[in-house]
Amino acid sequence: MKKIAILVSLLIVAGLLLAACGQQAPQTVVVTQVVEKNGEQVVVTQVVEVTPTPPPEPVTLDINWGTEPPTADPGLATDTTSVAVAGQMFMGLTKFNPKTGEVEPWLATSWEASEGGAVYTFHLRKDVPWVKYNTATGEVEQVLDDNGNPRMVNAHDVEYAVKRTLDPATASDYAYVLYIIKNGQAFNTGADGVTADDVGVKALDDWTVQFTLESPAGFFPAIAGMWVVSPVPQWVIEAAGEKWTEPGTVVTNGPYVMTEWVHGSELNMKRNPYWPLWAANGGDIKGNIDVIHGVMITEESTAFALYENNELDTTGVPLGEMDRVKSDPELSKEYYNAPDLCTYYYGFVNNKPPFDDVRVRKAFAMAVDKQSLVDNVLKGGQTPADHFAPPGIFGAPDPGAFSKEMPFDPEKAKALLQEYLDEKGMTLDDFNALGITLMHNTSESHAKIAAAIQQMWKDNLGVDVKVENQEWKVYLDTIKKTTPLDEVPHIFRLGWCVDYPDENNWVYEVFNNTAGANRLRRGCVDATCTEVKPMKFDELTEQAKVEQDPEKRKELYYEAEHELAVTEAAYIPLYFYVINTVTKPWLQRDYPPLGAPNYWDWVIDWNAKKAATGG
Amino acid sequence: MAVANLSAEDEEILSRRQRSLWRDSLARLMRNRLALISGAVVVLLVFVAIFADKMAPYDYATQDLDANNAVPSYLMWLMPKHAERYAKIDNSFLLGADYLGRDLLSRTLYGTRVSLSIAVVASLVSLTVGTIYGTISGYVGGKVDNLMMRLVDFLYGFPFLIVVILLQTYFKALARVGAEGGFAKVLLDWNAKMGGMLLLFIAIGLVNWIGMARLARGQVLSYKEKEFVEAARAVGASHTRIIFRHLIPNVMGPLIVAETLAIPGYIFTEAFLSFSGLGVDPPTPSWGIMISEGVQNLRTYPLQILVPAAALSITTLAFNFLGDGLRDAFDPRMAE
Amino acid sequence: MGRYIIRRVFGFIPVLFAVALFTFILVRVIPGGPFDYAGEKALPPQVVANIEAKYHLDWPVTWQFVSYLFGDDVVEFLSAGKYQQPADGGSKGLIRGDFGPSLRYRGQSVTDIIKGTFPISFQLGLLAMIIGLSIGVPAGIIAALKQNSWLDYTATFIAVLGVSVPSMVLGPVLIWLFAVKLGWLPVATWGAKPPFILGLFPRDILSWKFWSHAIMPAIAMGTGMSASIARLTRASLLQVIREDYIRTARAKGLSERTVIAIHALKNSMIPVVTIMGPLFAAVVTGSLIIEQIFGINGMGRHFVQSVGNRDYPLLMGVTLVYTFLLLIANLMVDLTYAWLDPRIRYD
Repeated sequence: MKKIAILVSLLIVAGLLLAACGQQAPQTVVVTQVVEKNGEQVVVTQVVEVTPTPPPEPVTLDINWGTEPPTADPGLATDTTSVAVAGQMFMGLTKFNPKTGEVEPWLATSWEASEGGAVYTFHLRKDVPWVKYNTATGEVEQVLDDNGNPRMVNAHDVEYAVKRTLDPATASDYAYVLYIIKNGQAFNTGADGVTADDVGVKALDDWTVQFTLESPAGFFPAIAGMWVVSPVPQWVIEAAGEKWTEPGTVVTNGPYVMTEWVHGSELNMKRNPYWPLWAANGGDIKGNIDVIHGVMITEESTAFALYENNELDTTGVPLGEMDRVKSDPELSKEYYNAPDLCTYYYGFVNNKPPFDDVRVRKAFAMAVDKQSLVDNVLKGGQTPADHFAPPGIFGAPDPGAFSKEMPFDPEKAKALLQEYLDEKGMTLDDFNALGITLMHNTSESHAKIAAAIQQMWKDNLGVDVKVENQEWKVYLDTIKKTTPLDEVPHIFRLGWCVDYPDENNWVYEVFNNTAGANRLRRGCVDATCTEVKPMKFDELTEQAKVEQDPEKRKELYYEAEHELAVTEAAYIPLYFYVINTVTKPWLQRDYPPLGAPNYWDWVIDWNAKKAATGG
Repeated sequence: MAVANLSAEDEEILSRRQRSLWRDSLARLMRNRLALISGAVVVLLVFVAIFADKMAPYDYATQDLDANNAVPSYLMWLMPKHAERYAKIDNSFLLGADYLGRDLLSRTLYGTRVSLSIAVVASLVSLTVGTIYGTISGYVGGKVDNLMMRLVDFLYGFPFLIVVILLQTYFKALARVGAEGGFAKVLLDWNAKMGGMLLLFIAIGLVNWIGMARLARGQVLSYKEKEFVEAARAVGASHTRIIFRHLIPNVMGPLIVAETLAIPGYIFTEAFLSFSGLGVDPPTPSWGIMISEGVQNLRTYPLQILVPAAALSITTLAFNFLGDGLRDAFDPRMAE
Repeated sequence: MGRYIIRRVFGFIPVLFAVALFTFILVRVIPGGPFDYAGEKALPPQVVANIEAKYHLDWPVTWQFVSYLFGDDVVEFLSAGKYQQPADGGSKGLIRGDFGPSLRYRGQSVTDIIKGTFPISFQLGLLAMIIGLSIGVPAGIIAALKQNSWLDYTATFIAVLGVSVPSMVLGPVLIWLFAVKLGWLPVATWGAKPPFILGLFPRDILSWKFWSHAIMPAIAMGTGMSASIARLTRASLLQVIREDYIRTARAKGLSERTVIAIHALKNSMIPVVTIMGPLFAAVVTGSLIIEQIFGINGMGRHFVQSVGNRDYPLLMGVTLVYTFLLLIANLMVDLTYAWLDPRIRYD
């Protein structure tokens, strides 16, 4: 017993000593100098005591990625977390302005469209090197080519990246975004005789890359900023295979380099000192963050507690905490709600009775008090929506543009429904016997919204709507257009978020009854829409896609939005999303509405952060 | 030879003894005040469950969006700092309202139905099936025991959650599509009538008897070579008789305790499943759903979790003390 | 005894096989596939076909199962080259220790995911179990020995309270109190990362970083457990104390301490041990709620998420790990019976 006690105390003493050594203790060093003494140069050797100055502490940003990114490979990324991670490490040809959302130069310094708009030529920066993180030394290194010179990102890397994304063997989910490129679809679907060489992308020289499109597309520069186009290192991917995105292996070109990725737990990054756009390297990007320390916490309220404990610099505000945050003297100052380019909507199955009648659809749409929904249920300052594309999307009407024609009006809604009932010789009870069903995928927030709207329909129309929910994958299976009519719900919930800020990505890709999934079942000849007739909306969106004149496009899209939301009332746009965030006062940041967060532009007042965290 | 057989007279004496044991047990139970109070609470809960619609001041689904998260003035002391800046004060809700302005008290009262029926059905199923299965397995022993335990291993080998999630995901998909006829149709019809609860019972019940079976078997293994079993065997009692008259009464004690302890587990399971969208369909209230919802704004509106959590805790306390009392009372060796 | 163990271990194989087969079928029966959609966007059928081909989901289900168990090369051999293994060799199959690729986390294998997450769940589960036992058993014993005293009532009452607070309430309350309000402990995450010693234990087990992160989740998880154990111990011990052989021991004039310690305690542990087997398997494979609340990267979340993502190989992987642990734990339980009660014999 005694022996153990002695051993333990020895260990403690040893521990203390070791701890002491870890401090920045004064050290004695022998210094040899050449000094000028009385006009002569003399060698002086002396023993001095110096206190080594600690290296400057890296300015660290603490964030929550929210979840394990399914991939860090820009060619495979589909979700916001993966895009956020890939966006730090790889530069796209263009990027979106974090404040206005406009397309700006990034890896490409300039671009031009051919006459007719079907060919785009991008001119690249010549000074972006490929870099790699050395896990042994903890330093970022430039990658050298065969001649020992730093290897630069060039047009061939872009060409490779595009072809790789489209290669069926890569099996990229987002390959379809590049179907706009000539032969993109044919190559991706393995059409006979089409090879990678036929794809409409070509490096004209080391610094110029040219895209040939299937049809003219004024929004192509926005697509060129998407992650699936970012240049990736061919030689690394071919050598390392699927695991090429692990730290120590991955070779990147963006502002940050991945240093550590503990799957499911944390992903950390470090500033790439060779990146030419830093102010220090003569560029114009002034962010001062050296290290990004990112955890992966799914539970919003836990992340919020981390924030309150100064363990995160910024985070989202959970719905349950909203009332408190908005009235707390300190938190309310740190709170900000930024628009997010997403729309939440309820779709009608347009060929399922009684929703095959526009009066019923209008009645249901007009009976929803979107403002009350936003104020009392959502609470985050969302904007009630009256059409599909939120502000910030090219071609989107102004918010409220159609609210006069489709107002919240219980009287009118009731009248419209009554008109329908009278014509069909039905009573309200007969109508309720139809068992109108609203379905959403399982989630507490969807359930809240559904419960609130269910009650509005009950109060304003007297209609009993049954609310059902299904687990996500089952749900998506249920609401697709091929589900038999009696199995599909009358009304379903979905949302849409931006890929690139153009109406084409919204009304055309989502609702056009041949290009989109047509869950609304518009213009169907038969019950499960194997055959569809284009309606006015579908013609308008088709036309706008290839129209060259921006003003004309805007008009077409305005008309299309009006057609869908008012004339057809094919769906109920409910609200445009916002991101509710709190940010510590020492962090200066932007709220980019799309693409990866621009950590490279953010600035931390390091002394203020240290003082607050007691570090 | 009459020596090895129990005479009619002996049987009579034995069963008379059994009866008096039950009387003694009852008498002992009556003396245990805590158990009695708990018993009364359980009876009250059953009463609430049955008459919830008569007792609740509001319907459980009626919303008053303008009164979302309302708090009555006399409960403001429970609220956090700065609450007066954001809380809506509304005394028409006795215990406040939830995020959709639904009366918390009414929802809690209705919630008793779901939680109690799950507790009762799940424990009855698991206790009955588990005890009989485990006792037979332990008593017979040998190959049969081995085989029965392998089956249990197989069933138990499934992570409980996966079974329930897979079953519920599958059932729900089926419920949507509808069945053509036959057993599945009957099942789904019943389920629809019960607000999606039947499938939950099945899922929970399908999993929980297994633990009871293992526990019962463990008990029987240690009892089956005891003197009184040997004695019964020596006088030629049949296996059925030994199992039901001698073994099961003796192994019931720990099983009842384990079962009462499992009841909160069942109620929590319901909470967890409802939270993952695999439980009761909204707007049917259950304490589980209410707690999951309340956790989200624990620090802003503590009342919304306090009310259902208190209901849950009181129920749990009652079941536990009652279980304790029963165990003490019905243990034949309890007399001091 | 040795033969008994060997026989039981061989008995694992059919159970594991049956669980694998059953899970394999069940997950494929559920509607919806892993790659139909990217977020809310329906993918064109050609894109889905590309991805499914990559993961052999275009093979007949029987061949998929053969591939899962024995590997792609075996499939190629058995199908006489009709279904070919991919250029990189493909899956080596369960029998060669390959759980296959994750369908959700591109580029990660299920083996990687389990290796990274299981040790964390194991550490947390073990700590919780230690808390559960070290509080539960003594509390139960004290309550039983001082039956109907205030000690008994207090212990019982606390135990009951422990059972009746769900961890999804206790967790956030602990965070609020000890992390946000008092600032003593970090809010969330786990204090150890790979590589782990022996693939299981944290490297810096003596560091404050590890313990400060471990305390709250372990308590949140262990409290309910200790309460259950305490009550079970009390009940069981009370019963054993009244057994004839204990009376005999007392009558022989043995001291009360000896009677309790040598005779009663051992026997009263049987129900407790019975519960420990499945409990062990359940806690070391992770708890979804605790992991979610404390942002811990354990295996528990994959039981639910893999179903949601239709990540078939990941679901199979975590299920089989759980089953295997459970079988081991139950074997241990049965062996412990024999030690606790010599009248139980295995041969």
